[in-house]
Amino acid sequence: MAKGIWVYVEQRDGKVKKVTYELLSAGRKAADSLGEELCAVLPGKGVAGIAPGLGEYGADKVYVLESDALEQYTTDGYANAVAALAKEKEPSAILMGCTVTGRDLAAQVAQKLGTGLLTDCTDMALENGQLVFTRPIYAGKAFVKAACPEARPVMATIRPNVLAVEGTQAGRTAEVVNVTPNAGDIRQIIKDTVLQVSTRPELTEADIIVSGGRGMKGPENFKILEDLADVLGAAVGASRAAVDAGWKPHSFQVGQTGKTVSPVVYIACGISGAIQHLAGMSSSKCIVAVNKDPEANIFKVADYGIVGDLFEIVPLLTEEFKKIMAS
Amino acid sequence: MSEPLMLFDEVRDAIVASGGEEIQMCMQCGLCTGSCPWGRMEEKAEFNVRAMFHMGRLGYDGYESDDFLFACTTCNQCGVKCPRGIKIPNVVRSMRSVICETGGIPKNLKAVLGSINSQGNPWSQEKDDRTAWTAGHDVPEFTPDKEYLLYVCCTSAYDGRSQKVARSIVDLLKAAGVSFGIIGNEEKCCGESVRKIGAEEEFGNLARHNIDLFNKKGVKKIITTSPHCLYTFKNEYPEFGAEFEVVHYSELLHNLVSGGKLKFSKPVAKKVIYHEPCYLGRHSRIFDAPRELLGAVPDLEMAEFKGNRDFSMCCSGGGARIWMETKAGQRFSDVKVKEASESGSQVIATACPYCIVMLEDSLKNQNKDEEMSVKDISEILKESL
Amino acid sequence: MNIVVCMKQTFDTEAKIALDANGKINKQGVSLIMNPYCEFAVEEALRIKEKHGGEVTVVSVGGPEAQDALRQALAMGADKAVLVDPGMEEVDEFATATILAKAISGMQYDIILGGFRAIDDGSAQVAGRVAEILGLPVVNVVVKLDIEGGKAVATKEIEGGSQVLEVSLPAVFTAQKGLNEPRYPSMKGIMQAKKKPMDKKTLADLGLDAAQVAPKVKVLSYFLPSARAAGKIIPGEPADAARDLVKALREEAKVI
Repeated sequence: MAKGIWVYVEQRDGKVKKVTYELLSAGRKAADSLGEELCAVLPGKGVAGIAPGLGEYGADKVYVLESDALEQYTTDGYANAVAALAKEKEPSAILMGCTVTGRDLAAQVAQKLGTGLLTDCTDMALENGQLVFTRPIYAGKAFVKAACPEARPVMATIRPNVLAVEGTQAGRTAEVVNVTPNAGDIRQIIKDTVLQVSTRPELTEADIIVSGGRGMKGPENFKILEDLADVLGAAVGASRAAVDAGWKPHSFQVGQTGKTVSPVVYIACGISGAIQHLAGMSSSKCIVAVNKDPEANIFKVADYGIVGDLFEIVPLLTEEFKKIMAS
Repeated sequence: MSEPLMLFDEVRDAIVASGGEEIQMCMQCGLCTGSCPWGRMEEKAEFNVRAMFHMGRLGYDGYESDDFLFACTTCNQCGVKCPRGIKIPNVVRSMRSVICETGGIPKNLKAVLGSINSQGNPWSQEKDDRTAWTAGHDVPEFTPDKEYLLYVCCTSAYDGRSQKVARSIVDLLKAAGVSFGIIGNEEKCCGESVRKIGAEEEFGNLARHNIDLFNKKGVKKIITTSPHCLYTFKNEYPEFGAEFEVVHYSELLHNLVSGGKLKFSKPVAKKVIYHEPCYLGRHSRIFDAPRELLGAVPDLEMAEFKGNRDFSMCCSGGGARIWMETKAGQRFSDVKVKEASESGSQVIATACPYCIVMLEDSLKNQNKDEEMSVKDISEILKESL
Repeated sequence: MNIVVCMKQTFDTEAKIALDANGKINKQGVSLIMNPYCEFAVEEALRIKEKHGGEVTVVSVGGPEAQDALRQALAMGADKAVLVDPGMEEVDEFATATILAKAISGMQYDIILGGFRAIDDGSAQVAGRVAEILGLPVVNVVVKLDIEGGKAVATKEIEGGSQVLEVSLPAVFTAQKGLNEPRYPSMKGIMQAKKKPMDKKTLADLGLDAAQVAPKVKVLSYFLPSARAAGKIIPGEPADAARDLVKALREEAKVI
């Protein structure tokens, strides 16, 4: 008999990722509707202190899987520990954030449990007593709604920032259940971990791209785009004209003769919109253009535009984004 | 130690089977490579036609790359020189088609083919926006009583810059009282450059679609805005049963001017240098019409590139190169812009949408876009109406 | 060193996605290509083979059209291809992985490679499932891979950086962009590919029955994103325009 909706708690050095709270919020609602309990699953070392606080976000129970073997994330260690517990407790659903780790872990756990997994979801809803997930396919050009009708637990990874953190109750605590985890044989041996302070994503992988054209007037001015990109966790791109001028290397070039991109947001600054550029970015979900020429072709494909001096507007945007990213 | 090179006849057989039988006529004299614009660039290029023919014929590896097999712009400068009369661009096309069938074409060209298949144009633009260029402009629709179909190149249909060319041509045709109309969103790309990628299947699909469409609509005569569409409609569509009379707009306007139906009265007091589109000049033998049209504009001072007509240098946008990146120092259009600037010209005139894209990029990257401009001859003629 | 590459044929990146009369994804008029991440996997397999010797086998699950993608891998230099046609309407990742693992289990392998995800459904889980079924360790999103004496040292992407992992072979690796730059097939390779074995199999050939590969996931419906609204020019003084734009992106477009 299936018991409970589980949320995998992703943390690094004791700091819980926001997506965990988002999943707890959404999981709370589902658990209430289904009349099940909401459990958080917390593997790691020295993480027990986090556990009670998860109650504020909706968890009824927290399984703490403390072990030296789980100090650092490894595919085998975490998948073995989580799957072993799931086999014993038989939850009805397991939710994870669609992060590098969540994606890695979910596939292994799903196969160990012989169940279905919906990855990269952008929504979760209850329909006729069944959890239904929405996920983008074909780079967001279509969506699919899918469920896992019979196999249990239902598993899904859900993108960060698509579910709201709501209904938190200060002071609410969760029941803490300490479990001795079975990390099993860990075959991936960590030799080195390199964390970079600021790594911008690769252009073709980025969700947000801030791109500059000839209107940037010089290589030194790309600093203002980089500042904006860092606030948004975005990649920086350039038009062919800016690359030709030697302001950025060819690897930054967006366009048909450079890289074809389709991010969620493309912010074009001082780019006039030559056809080769448009062909390489017009499938972006949302296009923002800043250009001083109201006749610039880029405005024909832009969802939002500001006609004006980019040197004035871009830093203002950076400040505005800083405010909302903090909230 | 290097491995011995083994002959591999099947490669030659495959090239021949794809329509490149002329590869066997090559005597390796090297006049092709000697005349190739790649050899005249500041920075040494890998591309070498003669060597490629040699390797293809013997079945050696090593030329299947962006900078070699897919470097050729199919400008046909070599074809003019070849003492064996080989249609070299056609052999290059057949070599590419062997690769293309297996899916191993350059990344950028894969996106182009994807866009061709799903949108009917190479620019990844919505197929239903093909007539967006007509917004606010009165452009007649083609009906069977119209004499001509005006077929607008994908580039002029979608590129904001090039849309101006399409509108200029419409205005000129109207001024001359030509009976014409457009079909628009149902049209697909002519496929000229698609075939040059080697994508025979995609090209066949496009040709069949357009021929059916034109026949269904009652089209007999076609005016093209681009020399590339002209070339393929005229020389390649008949392979699929097409029987249309095809003219480039410059030929038609030239006839209208000669017949007194079109006059240019407003002076354009500028020095204008004419850049020969390869597919208008060398490939289609239309050399005089554009020059005489420019000559009919009052006060316009004509200039010529040192290499012109059969010896004009390509802009580097043909043969699907418009969708690929060419390193600075190897761009033919940069060389052309430099020469145009040295000639003291204010305008580079041409009659091909690809040439405009390439030359304007070069004008910008050499910071000459304030002193000079690139114009389609139709734009100059319209100014002079 | 025997290497197996799991690969997938997908719609090309420019494909226009539409729904057919049954509300399913319309497959008419789209070009099919080898999933770009699988191309990285094939290229890596060829490089390992060139360095250490051995044989590269490419395996795919799909209809007869998937032969084109396998043929490309053979033309690039792979030695053998296996195509399993499941003959089923709906195949989920569990089913695909079950089929692939079964096909691979009868082969000799030291390394199994795959793309870290496919550009169509982007589910990023099949290779991991295959590893699980075969009892092998997996390293995902690999950007560098060195093979030395029965061991592999793989660099993978992690949030905010990278990690170097060592695993004993046999093992499964999934390729991320940056691992290598895939080669084009050579003319000679294309000709040679025509003579290389393309082994077409059914589920019965693998000894699988329909119940063993019954999908766990059920698709309820497909839908397309709402059509793009006309673009808006945000008016006002720069400070106001910037504020309004950011607000619109968060509250109206909901993209930030």
